[in-house]
Parts: sequence; structure tokens; C-alpha cells
Amino acid sequence: MMIVSPALLMRFLIVSLALIAISTPAIARENVLDIQEVTSPKGIKAWLVEDHSIPVISIEISFTGAGALTDPKSKQGLSRMLSNMLDEGAGDLSSQAFQKELRDQSISLSFSSSRDTFNGSLKTLKTNKDRALELLKLSLTKPRFDAEPLSRMRAANESRIRSSVSDPEWIAARIMNDQAFSGHAYAMNTGGTLSTLKTITSADLKKSMQENFSLENLKIGVCGDITETELQKLLDDVFGALPAKRKTQTKTDDITLQNQGSIALYKKEIPQTIIEIMQPGLDKNHPDYHGAQVMNQILGASGFGSRLTDEIREKRGLTYGIYSYLFNLEHSDTLAVSTSTGNENVQEMLGLIRTEWDKMKQAPPSTQELTDAKTYMIGALPLSLTSTDKIASLLASLQSDGLPIDYLENRNTAIRSATPDDILRISKTLLNADQFTTVLVGAPQNVTPTITVEKLPNVE
Amino acid sequence: MDQSPKRFVGAIILALLCIMSAHGIYAADKGSETPKPVEKSAVIPQKVFNAKTTTLLNGMQVVVVENNRTPVVTHMVWYKVGAADETPGVSGIAHFMEHLMFKGSAGLAPGDFSKKIRSLGGNDNAFTSHDYTAYFQSVGAEHLETVMRMEAGRMRGMNPPPDQVLSERKVILEERSQRTDNNPEAKFPESLSAALFVNHPYGKPVIGWEHEMAALTWEDAKSFYDRWYGPNNAILVVSGDVKSEDVFELAQKIYGPLESVPLPKRKRTVTPPLAGRQTVIYHDPAVREPQFQRVYRVPSYRQNAADSLALQVFEDIAGNGPTSRLYKSLVIDKKLATNAGLSYSVNAFDDAELSLYLTPAPGKNMKQIEDALDAEIMQMIDKGLTEAELSESLKRLQAEAIYARDSLSGPAMTIGYSLATGSMLDDVEFWPQNIAKVTAAQIQGVVSKYLDTKNPQSHYVNGYMLPAEKENSAKAQTPPKPKTENAP
Repeated sequence: MMIVSPALLMRFLIVSLALIAISTPAIARENVLDIQEVTSPKGIKAWLVEDHSIPVISIEISFTGAGALTDPKSKQGLSRMLSNMLDEGAGDLSSQAFQKELRDQSISLSFSSSRDTFNGSLKTLKTNKDRALELLKLSLTKPRFDAEPLSRMRAANESRIRSSVSDPEWIAARIMNDQAFSGHAYAMNTGGTLSTLKTITSADLKKSMQENFSLENLKIGVCGDITETELQKLLDDVFGALPAKRKTQTKTDDITLQNQGSIALYKKEIPQTIIEIMQPGLDKNHPDYHGAQVMNQILGASGFGSRLTDEIREKRGLTYGIYSYLFNLEHSDTLAVSTSTGNENVQEMLGLIRTEWDKMKQAPPSTQELTDAKTYMIGALPLSLTSTDKIASLLASLQSDGLPIDYLENRNTAIRSATPDDILRISKTLLNADQFTTVLVGAPQNVTPTITVEKLPNVE
Repeated sequence: MDQSPKRFVGAIILALLCIMSAHGIYAADKGSETPKPVEKSAVIPQKVFNAKTTTLLNGMQVVVVENNRTPVVTHMVWYKVGAADETPGVSGIAHFMEHLMFKGSAGLAPGDFSKKIRSLGGNDNAFTSHDYTAYFQSVGAEHLETVMRMEAGRMRGMNPPPDQVLSERKVILEERSQRTDNNPEAKFPESLSAALFVNHPYGKPVIGWEHEMAALTWEDAKSFYDRWYGPNNAILVVSGDVKSEDVFELAQKIYGPLESVPLPKRKRTVTPPLAGRQTVIYHDPAVREPQFQRVYRVPSYRQNAADSLALQVFEDIAGNGPTSRLYKSLVIDKKLATNAGLSYSVNAFDDAELSLYLTPAPGKNMKQIEDALDAEIMQMIDKGLTEAELSESLKRLQAEAIYARDSLSGPAMTIGYSLATGSMLDDVEFWPQNIAKVTAAQIQGVVSKYLDTKNPQSHYVNGYMLPAEKENSAKAQTPPKPKTENAP
């Protein structure tokens, strides 16, 4: 049971994004991940990595295109509430009875909703596998959405929002979404707002499920103490009742980064200013995508050893952390920077980031930098695949992103082949500090904002 | 990242305890950064991790957990020293030291330690608590010898240039702003601990008080380093795709030649009995959602294993998740709170902290919350718990042992902080067997002994975090800043 405080959510987000950036690369050694595609008699597919060393099974499912972007604007937080409610009672089991079964059998079952996908995670001991799968099936097919847990989950979400309002990193994230994705579904608050949460009913939850859950958009990743034959059977048992096709969805448009060249300030009397920057990025299917990842590794992805950390933290002591990362959503591709610094240093910090952008565009990286970046990206992947849940989660997300089963190997090859001139060429076309959409939260000195934010967007 | 409000309980606590930013990871406070104290098994053979151990002639303990699932290895060195071992007036020096270990050592220029690890395709970092400081690298198993040489090189050979010391001091001050001073929810628990641990170093934050951090010098760091860093104050824990005999041999070759150092005794000041009850009332205009928290001083595992085991089961029954007693009663039945939970930091060298935290439901005041909480505690004391509650909890705790093995660094973490806070390896390995012996009467006993607010022997502080007061709010914002110059 990992609890992330609102104060840490943003940092966690950043860190996990950075991890995705470094972990999508490739496997250095053979057989680090031996992925099998398993198809059930009814034709349901899953990716499986068998590991019989510990009697534990992890299953990760994703419904693509079923995340918060499907929430109506007036019902922001709907998919989040759905994720909170699926394990709050199903079939004959009330909320408390359902939770007690999970707890008594040490089954971990939870749901979450990102902007693009709706996800479920199950982790169980092999001995409790059958009951765990029944509970997963019940939650996906017969959730109760009883009034008591519904109002309790609503109250908890409202409480979370009121509590997060004191967290400058959370505030910065709200404003960045609003600025960067202005006019698009991504601008909404995935966690809902104080007023929209109040309007969400059990009928809304049912409708959202019926519209968004189907075999057509279901991706399944499995890792642990289970064989192909066992998995085939359970796929039909657990997921066979879902509708084959998804109800027609309104098409979501892609969005280019909005408010480029602007600096939005939310004034807050704290010792530090939180700085969030975005600029346009690259699609995952772009031929230069892997090269851009290598470039970003050198620029700012890894913390220690990156140019941004070297110049800004190590040499000048201006921050505790600075990261850059390629941030890919289904309908938007950006390159982002997250950092913070004392209010008196904000101007200097913004200048230093621009300088690093320029340097990257002016000369190719050194051979050493490039080699180190490649070795790291290739070598670090197995380090992130050391538990069944992490592996199952990677398997589901590869499929959600529409990537092939040999993606990790392909990516490895692409990373190895990047040359210093490739990196320079990619830097020249990709990096553009004039396209920065900047958000500041704090009391920065000597910075003139182009936008002053008085009221937090999508909070009340 | 967990989005479930059910698991949101304890956000504040973990904001303090589980701080894992990707730079200089830093687990503040008595080492509760990973779920449970000592890990748990049952079904599996006998021991949880089946770790192998030896001690080098220079006094360095070596522990190996074999895990051959992937060809990677986690290498950790734990020093049995932390913020609670600092001399008064230099709070934050243990953590500053940890940062400086990356700023130049035998054969490595400032910053090169981590760069070298990255160039091997590995990750590295470090963290500091009140009782220990740990450094770790995760790399492909073939690089174990390389990282061992690097870590051994800075055990006695740290040597950062002066300008690097000054710039890094700015970094830790920024770190303090980011972690604590930016957010009232982080400042609140800092004040509570300061009030609870009067005259004991757990009362000061691991990262340090700002005014003392700003004055830290290289001489402060060097004298701390010389006093505490040496093989006889270190524990090496290696987990991953290795054979224990090979690791022992390698450790002997690389760490073995380091000479042991004269170590001071780990002497801590003691919190005396105090007259009266304390309540920290903290108003801040940035607060919109009030929080109630009560922190108790209770025995750690090292101090009282039997009582600690009973408190661990109590923690599970009373405060762990949506079917726990506190949540069921205060959130579901009485609707007084939107969140309720409990956390017990077992792995402390001295007294442990047990925290109860509640978010009042809209319209409910602190008094109502507090009364309801006390009623729950009295219920436990008067009526005890049912056999079913106990057996279900014990079963759950046993199962966690199997999950504990589904990780590379998890076992190394558990073993590291347990040994560094005075547990023995067997305490970790036989935790499931030990916890299974806890009885309902024992639990009732520890609740009565340590948590009953009417019992004069119980030691606790109540905390209210509230929005700005309507009048005179400017004056009321600053939390009572505790003094740190407690005489040793």
C-alpha cells in the first residue's frame, strides 16, 4: 500500500515519466524479458512473462482511449471516481465485504485512470489466484456503485483537492495543463473539481463503463507464476463477458502545445518558485523518436550526469532537482522541464535552461557523452524490471501504445545506431526555447509574466 | 502512483517519511520508507530471505540475498550513523555529508561517481535518516566489483574541493525549501516531532534546521566523517544475481584492507517525563483542509521486541486500509472524517513514533475528532479485539513475506535498516514466526500501556493543522519553532 501525498504527486509524476523515458529502450542481454503472446479459445490476447521463482502473479489491464479524456467537462473526475468505485462492492459483496475479501486473502486489486487509459492492477499469491480473478471479474462486470461508498469516495476526493491546494507543485500542474492544452480535453483535471465531483452519480459511472470497457480496447499484461495454458483459460473466464466492440466514441483531436512563448505566474508566498516548462515534442512513431530520447538523456533525463543537472545543480547549487523528459500522450507530444529554485534565482535559472538548449543545438555531443547515454539507456532497463507487477505493467503499456512485441529489441538497435550528427540534427529541429510554455508558482523576483493567474483552473 | 482515496490515508505522514525524489533520495525519520519493518513469510520454508552473512576482520558486516531472476544486482552500504548522532548546533550535517560523498573521492572528480555508474548502465543514490545513512547502486551483475571498488574508495577517501562544498550547501537549502518549507503539510509533522522528542535528537528534522544548515562547513562534515565512517561502522548488503561465497570473497578483497576506526559510542540524550499535555496548533493561510494528528512515543523493536510486535499487529488491525477499525468507525460509520489511519515506525534505534492521523469531514471540529478517536482507543482497551480480527491480521502479515521477495532492492532495504537500527538478521528472517505468536491480550496490553491518554505514562502530542485564523492571522501563521540546543 503505497501512499503518495499530494505534495509529492507532481514529483512522482515527473520521476515516473523520466523512468518511462529511460525504460522504454531496450534489453542489453538476451532473455531478460521473454514475452509470449497468448491467445485464449475465445480470441482474447495477452502478453505473458512467466516467472516461477516466487508464487506470485501480477496482472495489469488497460482499456485504451478510456481514461479521463472521455470525461464530460461538467463531470471532470468521472473516470477517477469510476476507478475508485470498482473495488467498492460488486455482485453480492458490499463495499466492506469486498474490501475484506481482498484484505483477508492478501489480494491487491486497484484501478486507476490516466488521461488516455483506464487501468486495473491485480497482484495475488498463486494459492489465492482463483478468488482474486473472481473478484477482478466481478468488479469489471457487476460493480454495485452503492450510495454509501459513492458519497465516501466523493468526500475523499474533495478532501484530496482541498488538501492539494496547499501544494505548489500540484498547483503548477493544474496551471500547466490549462495553459498547454487549452481548449482540449487534456486541460481538464483528471481528479475532478470540487463542483464536478458533486454531480457524478452511479448512473454516470455505469454509463462510462458501458461506453468504454470492451474487448476491442482491452490490453492485458501478465507476469509471474502462471503457465500459458492456465492464462488462456482465465482470459476467457475473467474477460469473456465484456462486450466485443466499444460503443462509438467521439473522436478526440490531436492538440499542439498552446500558449507557446508565454510565462504564466501564480503568485504564492513561499521561499521557492516551482518551474514547469513545455515545448513541442515528437511522436513515438517518428523516425527520430529514439534519437530524441538519446538527446534528452544527455540534456536532462537522468538527473546526475545530465547537462542540466551539471550546470544548474552541481556547478551552481541553484536547485535540488532538474529534469527534462519527452512527455507523450495519445494526442499530444511535448518535451518538458521540471525544476524549482529560490525566488531570487528564477531569472538566472530560466536563462541557464535556454543556454543549455542553445549549446545542444550548436555542437554535437562528445563521443563520451553519447556512449554513456546509450549504455545507460540500454543497461537500465533490466533494473526497472525486477518485480512481477513492474513487468506486467510494462507489457500492458507497450500494447496500449500500439507497439510491437519485439519493440524493446528494435529500440535497442535504434539507440545503438544514433551518431553525434544525428543528435545535433535532432536538437536543431526539435529544441526551440522560443516555443516554451512556462508556468511559475511562487514569488519570483525580476521576472515579468505574460499571464497572471489569479484563480486556479479546474479546481473549484 | 495511487489515485485511490482509500489509500490516501496517511498522506501527511508519508510526505515526511517516504521522501524519494530522484536526487539524493532521502528517507527522513526513523526509517519507515518502505512498507513494513521486518518482512514476513509463512508458507515459504523458514526464513524470509534466506540471507547469508559474514563479518570481515575489520568489523564490516556483509549480507547477501541471492535472487537470480534477472542478471542485476543491488549493492548497498549502510553506515550506522544518522542525524540523531549529530552534535547539537550542526543539524543536517549527516545529510550534508551524504551529499558530499558524491562530490569527489579517491580517483573520482566531483560528480563523477554517479556519471560512472550511469555509464555502466546503472543507477545510484543515497539516503539519510535519524539512525543511518545508506548508499546504493543497481547495476548489471557483472559490474559488482567495479561499484564495490568505488564505494570502498569513498569510505575513507572523501575529498571534495571547497567550492563544491559551498555550492552543495545551497543545494541542501533548496532541498529543504522543496521538501518542507513550500508546504504546510510538510511543516506540520516537523513541528509535531519537535514537540514529542524533547531533549532527544529525533526532535530535529533529518534535513536540519534552516539556520543551522546555512552555517554548515567542510570542517563540520569532515569531523563527522572521520568520526563515523569506517568499515567497522558499516554493513554491506548485496541482493541479486550473485553467489554469496563470491560476494564474501570480493568483499574481503576490496573492503577487507580498509582499517577499522575508533568509534564513539552511540550515545543519545533521553526524553524526560514532562508535566502537562502538549498540543501543537498550527494555522497557515495556505491550509484549506484541516488535519488532526496525534504522535505517540512508543518502544521500537530494538527497545522491546515483544511490545513492538504487538504494536505492529495493532497497526494493521486499527489503521491499515479501508477495513481497519479506525477507518470503519470514524469514516464509514460515524462520518466524522474523510480519512483515518495509523503508522508505526518500528525501526528506530531509540523510541519509535506512532502516529494517528485524521482528516475531519467538512463541518466537524477537532474536538469531535479527538473524542471519537479516544473512544476507539478506550474500546480497544476495555473490550480488546476478537480472535477473528487477530487471526485474519496474522494471516495477512504472513502473506506479505512472499510479496517481499518479489523485488530486487526491497530485501536489501529491509535488511539494511533493520540491522542499522539494532535488529539481528534472525529478527528479519524469523519475523513471520515471531509475529504469529502475538496474542490478543498482548495487543490490549500495549494499547493500554502506551496509547491511553488517561495513563500518565503515555507520552503524546496532539496536532491541529488549520487554515489562517480569521483575525490577527498574520501573527498566527508561524508554527512554534522548537529550540534545538538541547544539552546533550
